[in-house]
Amino acid sequence: MVTYLVQRLILALLTVWAISVLAFVIIQLPPGDYITSYIAQMSASGGAVSEQEAEALRQEYGLDQPMLVQYLRWMKQVVQGRFGMALEWRRPVSEVIGDRLWLTMVVSIAAILLTWLLALPIGIYSAVRQYSPGDYLATFVGFIGLAVPSFMLALVLMYLGFRYFDMSIGGLFSDEFADAPWSLAKVWDLAKHLPLPALILGLAGTAQLIRIMRANLLDELRKPYVMTARARGVPERRVILKYPVRVALNPFASTIGYLLPYVVSGSIIVSLVLSLPTVGPLLLKALVAQDMFLAGTIVLLLGLLTVVGTFLSDLLLLWIDPRIRMEGKR
Amino acid sequence: MPKKRTAVSRREFIRDAALLSGGLAAVGLPGSVRGQTAGARPKLGAQLIGKLEGPELILDPAKWPKKFSEAPMLADLVKQGKLPPVEQRIPKEPLVIKPVHEIGRYGGTWRRGFTGPGDAENGNRIVSADKLLFWEYTGTQHRPSVARQWLLADDGKSVTLYLRKGHKWSDGKPFTADDFVFWYEDVYLNKDITPTPHPDFMINGKSGVVKKVDETTVIFEFPEPNYLFLDILAGSTAMGGGQALWQMQGRAMGAYMPAHYVKQFHPKYIGLDAANAKAKAANFDGWLAYIRNRWDWRLNPELPVLTPWKVVTPINNPTWVMDRNPFFYEVDTAGNQLPYIDRIQMTLAENLEVLNLRAIAGQYDLQERHTAMTKLPVFLENRDKVGYDVRLDPALNGSDATLQINHAYDADSEVAKWLQTADFRRALSMGIDRDQLNETFWLGIGVPGSVAPSETTPYSPGPEWRKKWSTLDVKQANALLDKIGLTKKDSEGYRLRLDGKGRLRIELLTAAGSFVPHTQIAEMIQQQWKKIGIQADVKEVERSLFETRMRSNEQQISIWANDGTELLYLFPRHGLPVDPAEAKMGHPIADWYASGGKQGKAPKDPELLKALELFRTANGKKLPERIKIAHEIFRMMIDGQYSIGTVGQSPATMGVRIASRKMGNMASRQINAQHCRTPGTSQPSTYYFKA
Repeated sequence: MVTYLVQRLILALLTVWAISVLAFVIIQLPPGDYITSYIAQMSASGGAVSEQEAEALRQEYGLDQPMLVQYLRWMKQVVQGRFGMALEWRRPVSEVIGDRLWLTMVVSIAAILLTWLLALPIGIYSAVRQYSPGDYLATFVGFIGLAVPSFMLALVLMYLGFRYFDMSIGGLFSDEFADAPWSLAKVWDLAKHLPLPALILGLAGTAQLIRIMRANLLDELRKPYVMTARARGVPERRVILKYPVRVALNPFASTIGYLLPYVVSGSIIVSLVLSLPTVGPLLLKALVAQDMFLAGTIVLLLGLLTVVGTFLSDLLLLWIDPRIRMEGKR
Repeated sequence: MPKKRTAVSRREFIRDAALLSGGLAAVGLPGSVRGQTAGARPKLGAQLIGKLEGPELILDPAKWPKKFSEAPMLADLVKQGKLPPVEQRIPKEPLVIKPVHEIGRYGGTWRRGFTGPGDAENGNRIVSADKLLFWEYTGTQHRPSVARQWLLADDGKSVTLYLRKGHKWSDGKPFTADDFVFWYEDVYLNKDITPTPHPDFMINGKSGVVKKVDETTVIFEFPEPNYLFLDILAGSTAMGGGQALWQMQGRAMGAYMPAHYVKQFHPKYIGLDAANAKAKAANFDGWLAYIRNRWDWRLNPELPVLTPWKVVTPINNPTWVMDRNPFFYEVDTAGNQLPYIDRIQMTLAENLEVLNLRAIAGQYDLQERHTAMTKLPVFLENRDKVGYDVRLDPALNGSDATLQINHAYDADSEVAKWLQTADFRRALSMGIDRDQLNETFWLGIGVPGSVAPSETTPYSPGPEWRKKWSTLDVKQANALLDKIGLTKKDSEGYRLRLDGKGRLRIELLTAAGSFVPHTQIAEMIQQQWKKIGIQADVKEVERSLFETRMRSNEQQISIWANDGTELLYLFPRHGLPVDPAEAKMGHPIADWYASGGKQGKAPKDPELLKALELFRTANGKKLPERIKIAHEIFRMMIDGQYSIGTVGQSPATMGVRIASRKMGNMASRQINAQHCRTPGTSQPSTYYFKA
C-alpha cells in the first residue's frame, strides 16, 4: 500500500513538472510576445513604441533570452512562491491571483453543492419512478438545461434581474465592498450576490448529473441483490439508499479529479459574462496579452489540482467500492 | 440605494421576453429603430446631438475672484493644520474657469466602469488638465492649461512657456522650470531610459533643447523653424500630452516631471548600486523597471501630480479610485477651487456587456467610454426609469471604418499590382454601399463618404471631396475594372487573376474587439463587392496579432478608424504612412519616411511620394501654409483613394455619453477627438452633483 502511494506521488510530481514545461511552451507558441500586445495597447492610447524601444523593453523583461532561460527564471520564482511578475498588472502573480482564487472556490463550491443537492434526489427519483410524469418533467427540464448555453442564460438572467428585481449587475460585491477588507458585512454582501452565478454555473452540470444518476441507478435496480433485499423485507427507502445508490455513486467519485480544477478555473465564459472577480477571466486576459507568467501559473495550478484530484478520487474509490479494495489487496 | 421603479406592464414583459429569446445581441437593433431612419422623420441620433458648448476661461486678471474657498473635506484638514490654507495652495495666477452652465457644489463620488489595467485611457482623459497647453471646447483654438501663456518666436525656432507663479505639485512642493530641465537632462537625454529621441521633439531629424529662463519660464529651442510645435504642445503628443498620459505604462515623455520625487530613484543622484538596491527591495528586477513604476500615476499613489484627481487605489485592483488634489491649479469664477467632485471610483467590468448593462441600470454617474452605439435603443428605453440622459458626441474624422490599403504589399505580386492601381482602388470604393453600412452599423447617424475630415475643421479640403469616388456606382466601378484588364470572370461572376491562378481574392484584415464592429462591416462590404465581381476574404485576428502583421508587412487591406486625421499634422498615422509605430498603409514606406530614406522602401506611386514630401515640409511652415498643404494632401489622398473611407463623423468611438441627471455642467454636446482628450476640454473638474 505504502509503495503504491509513493509510486503515485513520484509520478504525480513528474506529471506536474511536465505540465509546467508544456504550459510554458504552449503559451509561447503563438506569434509575438507580451511586447507586441503592449505595442497594440500603446497605439490604442495614441502612443508609439519604436523598434528600439521595443527591443529595450524585451531586454528589460528578459523576453529576448532563449525560452529555456526564461523558463528557469520563472521556475526560480515559482519555488520562491512569487510565481514571477504579472506583466500587464505589474504586480507579483501570487498577489494578482490571491483573492480571486478564494472567490473562485467559493463560487464553484456553491455551484457544485447546488448541483448535487438538485441532481442526486431528482436523479434517484426519476430512476425509481421511471416513466412517471415526474420523470418526464425532470428529463424535459434537464435536457433544456443541458441545451441552453450557460453564457446565454447568464445574459438573460442578468437583464431580467435588473429589469424586474432591481438586482445589481454582475460581480460578486457591491461597489463599496469591492476593495474593502473582509468583514461580516462584506460576507453578507457576497452571500447576496452568490445565488445567481451559482445557479447558472450549477444548472448545466445538474442536467448532466441527473441523467448519469438515473442511468446508473436504473442499471443497479434491476440487479438480483436489490430483489433479495426487498424479499428480506428491508424497507424500500433503505433498500434503495443503502445499496444501489451507493454503487451508482461510483462514477461521481471517479470524476472528482476533474472537479478540483473546475473549482478553481470555474467556467471561464460564464465568469466573464457575469463579470465575476474569479480566476477564469484572468486566465483569458493573460492569454490574450501573452502574459506567460500569469497564464503559465494558472495553467500550472490547474494541472496541479487535476493531479491532486485524481489522487483523491483514487482514494475515494477505494473507500466507496469494496471490489476495488479487494483487488488492491490481492 | 432605493430607486423608484415603475411597474412593468404585461406588454412590456412580453416584448422583453421576445427580445431576450433572440439573445441580448438582438436587443441592439430592434426593427422599430431601423424604421425611424427612413423617410423625412428626424433621425434618432439627430435628437440626441445637442449644441456644442463648453466651459470658458477667464484670462483677464481684473475679472478674477479675489477670495477663494475650498471643499469641506479640505477645509477640515486646514483646520487641523494638515494643509495650508487654500490661498497658499493655488497658484498666484490660477486658471479661472467659467463652468458651462453654473457654479457647482462640492462633494460626491463619480462612479464609472473600466475594463482592467489595459484601460488606462479611461482615467488619463479625465485627468488631462496636466497638459501644458490645451484647446478651447471647439477644438480649434489654443488655450492655456498648466502653462499660463506662450510665445512662438517669429522665426519658428523656439516656443517659450510661462508657468504660473506659486504653482504646486500635489504634495505641496513648488512646480518650476527645474522640473522641465530635470526631465530633459536626466530622463530624455538618458540613453538607458530613452534609447531614441522622440519625433514629437524633433524637426527634420534634429532634436530640440529645453532651457530654463527663470523659475517660471522655459524655452523649447530647435535648430530649424518648427512652427508646428505650438500645436504639438497643445495636442495629445509626447511633448504636450501631459504627465499622466506620457509617463504611464513605461513611457518617459511629457516634457516635465516631479524632479524632487523622482530623483530619489535615479542613479545619477543616488548612485547605480543604491538605485538597484532600492528596486530589489521593492521586488523589481532593476532600477529602470522601478523608476518607471514610480512615475506611473496609475500605479503609484505617492507620485506628485498636477491633475485634478490623484490615484489612491491603483489601476491593478478591482476598483480604481482617485481623490481630489488639494493643490489643483483651477478655480471657478466664484473663487471655488476645483474640482467639485471629491472622488472618482471606477469598478472593474470583466466584459463590455456587463459594463453596458451597468450603465443602463444607472450604476454609473457618467460613462462615455465602452458604451456602444448599437445599444442605443436599450439606453433610450431605460433613461427615464433610471434617470440618466443619453447624449451623442460625433467625432470629426471622416471614416470610422477605413479600408487602409497597404501600398508596400509585395507577398503576392498580382494583388500588389492591383492595390497600387488607382482605378482599382476607385472601383473598390464605388462598390461600397455606404448608406446601407450607415443604417446598419451607425443607426443612420454617421456621414457617408471619403476619408476627408468634417467640414467644420480647418483642414477639410471642401465639401465636394466628401463624395469624390466615394458613392455607390456599380456601373462605373465595373467599367473601371474592365478597363484595367480584369475582364475574365468565373462561373460565379468573380473576376479572375491575370496570371491564371484563379479568382482574384483580396484580404480584408480586421482586429477583434474594436470600438466599431469592423469585422461585421467588412462582411457586409464583402457582400456588396459581389456586384463588382471582387472576392473579399474577411479575416479577423486578435488586436496584437493585427499589429504584428502590420509590422511584418503581411496585410493587404486592413480596416481601422481614421481618428486623429482631423488634425493631420499631430496624428498623421491613420492618414499617411509616416509613423512606423502604426503604419497600416505600408510599414516599409513609414520606415523610409521616418528614417529620412535610410531604411525601408520609398512608395512606388509618384502621387503618394509627392504627398509625403509635402507633408515633410509642413512642420516648418506657418499656419496658413500648413492648412493649404493639408488641403492638397487630402485632395491627393481622396482622388487616388489611397485609403477608402466609408462612414464617419459619428459618435461610434467614445461618443455615447450616459450621464446621470444628477450630474451638473454636462455640455449638451462636446467635441469628441483625441487632441481634445474628450472629455478633457469639457473640464471634468467642473462636473458636480446637483442637490
